[in-house]
Amino acid sequence: MTVPNVTDVVGPGDHACLTFTDGDERLDLVAAFVRDGLRAGHKVVCWTDAIDPDGLAVQLADRSVRPGAAMRRGQLRLSPVSDSLLGTGATTAAAMVDVLSDELDAAAKEGYPGLRITADMAWATRPVGGVDELIAFETKLADLFADGRLCLICQYDRERFDAVTLAFAAKAHPKTVAAQVYYEHPLLRICRQYSQPGIRIAGQLDYRQRDVLEQALSESLRLDRNPNVNLTRLDYIDGACAGVIVAAAMRLPRSRRMTVKCQRIVATVLDLVGAGTAPNLRVQVSHEQR
Amino acid sequence: MSSGETAARPPQPRRAALSRPDSVDLDQAFDINSLHMLRRTVAAHADRLGANDDQLERLIIVAGELAINAIRHGGGRGRLFLWRHEDTLFCEVSDQGPGIKDPTAGTSLPNPISSDGRGLWICRNLTSELAISTGPDGRGTIVQATIPR
Repeated sequence: MTVPNVTDVVGPGDHACLTFTDGDERLDLVAAFVRDGLRAGHKVVCWTDAIDPDGLAVQLADRSVRPGAAMRRGQLRLSPVSDSLLGTGATTAAAMVDVLSDELDAAAKEGYPGLRITADMAWATRPVGGVDELIAFETKLADLFADGRLCLICQYDRERFDAVTLAFAAKAHPKTVAAQVYYEHPLLRICRQYSQPGIRIAGQLDYRQRDVLEQALSESLRLDRNPNVNLTRLDYIDGACAGVIVAAAMRLPRSRRMTVKCQRIVATVLDLVGAGTAPNLRVQVSHEQR
Repeated sequence: MSSGETAARPPQPRRAALSRPDSVDLDQAFDINSLHMLRRTVAAHADRLGANDDQLERLIIVAGELAINAIRHGGGRGRLFLWRHEDTLFCEVSDQGPGIKDPTAGTSLPNPISSDGRGLWICRNLTSELAISTGPDGRGTIVQATIPR
């Protein structure tokens, strides 16, 4: 199984659809998109809806993407979709295409070789937006991507859109971005984390899912120099799975490090199976509770 | 908690007499399909019995390990009893498996690279006493954990 980086999937000239069910999964992918854009020297614009711009700035910082300096120099802008893409007048597909076109011209005048935009499409589920205009907008965009300067990721919350609209969205976008999910169950979710690179496990974990834990961890060890294992939303771990994590850290060469973030109950079990004896393992107790 | 602390205090094996009271606060049968429910039920009862956060966490970990041991090595199913005496919680898990032959099981930290044998070590470190005995008819295992405040 291969896990492409967000940058491997989308780049200049791409129009992609990001679908998600878990809020953290969306923020991870958006953070990776912003990080990669800033590194490439492109202008980056985030049009927010479900989360306000200040909230997004905090979430980016939590994922090691510090937005402050980039925002001050104008390379990064976080703004509500209602003030930008949707404008103040009637929301029409043509008007929205004009907004994007103006952004692209402005970025070029400011000297940026490219423009990355990501937009939360949740607005279209409200009466003021309208799914009809959304569909027209997504289809009219094609010309803007012709010269390869624009990269656009549209975010679709699978919980908010009906199946027909989601199917349309998947078709209207030449590319799709979604988090790699290793295990999905109401009581346990194991997925890849894109920023900071590693894996995230939420719910309750015991020996029955040990194989999938080993698979996710070994993939992370292969892809990530210093893997992050985010267990902040894990409420329970048994000794068998805690042992798998400690053993994985012990296999790392001296120059690499694994960081585990978890609740106290999980830290207790990790400690008892020998986390303290693994020189390359750092366990950080988070006080965030579910 | 630091790992240094746990390594410095290897718990001793014990085979104390068991005396489960006639009336307990929780008597719950379990198998592989009810592990999540068991942990939730234990947590809810301990909360009702006035356990503090630290005691509750130790109980959830210990009850989980003992139940998993019963499922994996004790015939696939078991029964958990929970009761309180003053501020101390008692958690007893019985199964119908072949029994634990080694009374010192779990008194040293297993090699982290090895895949098994951590359950009793974890339990011994989180309890003031862990009594392992054989069932009344010479079959199965009864493990009683004492979890003080």
